[in-house]
Amino acid sequence: MSVYFLKESDLTFFLGRLLASSPVIAPVAKKSKFVFAELGSAAELRLDYDVTLLPPKTAFFPVKQKLLDFGPDGPKSAITPRKQVLFGVHFYDIKGIDMLDQLFAEGHRDNNYLANREATTVVGSSIQKVSSRAFFSTVGTDVQPRGHDAFLTHVTAGYVFETRTPKGEALISFGSFEKATAAQIEEAAGVNAAVLKRCPEKLEHSSELIAVKVRNAFANEELWTDLAKDCFSCGSCNIVCPTCYCFDVQDRWNLDQVSGTRHRTWDACLTNDFSKVSLGAGGSENFRERRGQRFRHRMMRKAAYLNEKLGGPACVGCGRCSAGCVPDIADPVRIINRIVGGRHGSSV
Amino acid sequence: MGHQCKSTIENLFMPEEAEIVRAEFMTPAEKHFTLRLKSGKAMVFEPGQMLEVSLFGFGEIPIGFASSPTRKGTFDIVVRSVGRVSSALNRLEKGDSLWVRAPLGKGFDLEKMRGRDVLVVAGGIGLCPTRSLINYILDRRSEFGKFTLFFGTKTPKDQLFREDLAQWRISKNVEFHETVDRADENWKGNVGVITTLFKNTTISPDTVAVICGPPVMYKFVIRDLDRIGIARDRIFVDLERRMKCGVGKCGHCQMNDLYVCMDGPVFPYSKVQDREEAFG
Repeated sequence: MSVYFLKESDLTFFLGRLLASSPVIAPVAKKSKFVFAELGSAAELRLDYDVTLLPPKTAFFPVKQKLLDFGPDGPKSAITPRKQVLFGVHFYDIKGIDMLDQLFAEGHRDNNYLANREATTVVGSSIQKVSSRAFFSTVGTDVQPRGHDAFLTHVTAGYVFETRTPKGEALISFGSFEKATAAQIEEAAGVNAAVLKRCPEKLEHSSELIAVKVRNAFANEELWTDLAKDCFSCGSCNIVCPTCYCFDVQDRWNLDQVSGTRHRTWDACLTNDFSKVSLGAGGSENFRERRGQRFRHRMMRKAAYLNEKLGGPACVGCGRCSAGCVPDIADPVRIINRIVGGRHGSSV
Repeated sequence: MGHQCKSTIENLFMPEEAEIVRAEFMTPAEKHFTLRLKSGKAMVFEPGQMLEVSLFGFGEIPIGFASSPTRKGTFDIVVRSVGRVSSALNRLEKGDSLWVRAPLGKGFDLEKMRGRDVLVVAGGIGLCPTRSLINYILDRRSEFGKFTLFFGTKTPKDQLFREDLAQWRISKNVEFHETVDRADENWKGNVGVITTLFKNTTISPDTVAVICGPPVMYKFVIRDLDRIGIARDRIFVDLERRMKCGVGKCGHCQMNDLYVCMDGPVFPYSKVQDREEAFG
């Protein structure tokens, strides 16, 4: 598609017109942190955010999503996609969205996700501040973000706006865009390359080596028990992750007690009862009973099983799990570097 | 841009209504339902495949087909009261409706069984999904070699499908062996774990074997099948896990990299023998 330029002072006008046309979900401040939320006004936008508490997948796969309504006349599908713009997504989160796109589409197509996804225009944004636990420059480096419709890069005089799809190109009519100059395009490329050098944490190994070494460490019970010894089984590492997509399905009655909803809510494989089945007479079987087993399952998924399927770890280096883990044991950099070996940790 | 667009997009979670044509407790906790789709359409499935069975307001649970697709018009499930959904389902009676999403998952590899001897080893409620295969074989008996069935329960009271058992005991079409872990005063048969039945018969190394039962049972049965010399790609295991979505998304049933609900629940043993989480 094309590359445009938008003056700094014209961003508010562009967003204002966009907001008048469809809901815009974008990073906004929440106390000292940031979240993706529906913009009330263009002034709320905070493109200087480092990382949001929850990943932007909430725009298509909310924490609680209605699947069906039910009542005396039976069930009704609750797939009702809404046209919306998801604005200001950092490239690592676009990679997370790409992975979910693939995982929800493969095998049985999950239209509860995909319909929302297709109705959404995704606009990426350059990273202005780097979060304290980020390692996005060294994870899955062969995997390029591809699911966005346009990308906005903050340069000296304003923004370089690259459109990648017709949906992205359609946004041009909402603002005072002009064609970008070669110098502006070059400056934008420089901005996006420079940010990669500012990650505080580094994974030191190729995706292939990580897949093999982590998979081969499966039987090392001592390692997993040790890694998980301070784990609360709270599942925070799962809940903040842009590539986690496990969920639970539950029914709720409405107050009338004859109708209700079937919905799904995010679930976490680190929690104790995630794999537990009832056998009757009070008996149960928990297929991942110990914390070490659950901790291992998360790393196997991220670093080995899905790595082979996605062409890189199911991790985008956002650092949310590292920051969100109370005992600070969830950091994939430390875990993987410990297993594979390297400067940041001894080989097991 | 319009904010809301109504859709008729296919929803993976949309169930179909099924009417209960027969409902009977087989034990105090296990109820046998015979169902028919309310739409009048036939339920198309293979032995070993599953359904997500639900009751609105309570939830959904995974259950294997307990009848053979050779017996058309209706299909069977067995529900064991263990939790909120199953207990609610077991309060339903003939004429009531429940909701199903089916068929889900991969069933038994019938092609691999045709022309060969077949051994089915079923423990406890493991007889429910294997009954689908057992009746399939009995209905198409000439397509299979020698057919042997092992069935074990904790006590004689736990035996399911008593009418079927009575037929199989006298049938010339199946060599039926049964055992209980603990006998009562009326029990005249074998006492001991299910592997004690191997001494009562001869199983050929060319046999295709099927195992379905409590998690602890598999490794002991496989040890005997190994001893007989049955190739591991001719041993099929029907596994249980927590299956919530039934379509390979929700993650609950993962066993290493496999989704039991979609890649299984029936697996050739050769496919799962190196999966560390398959048998604990």
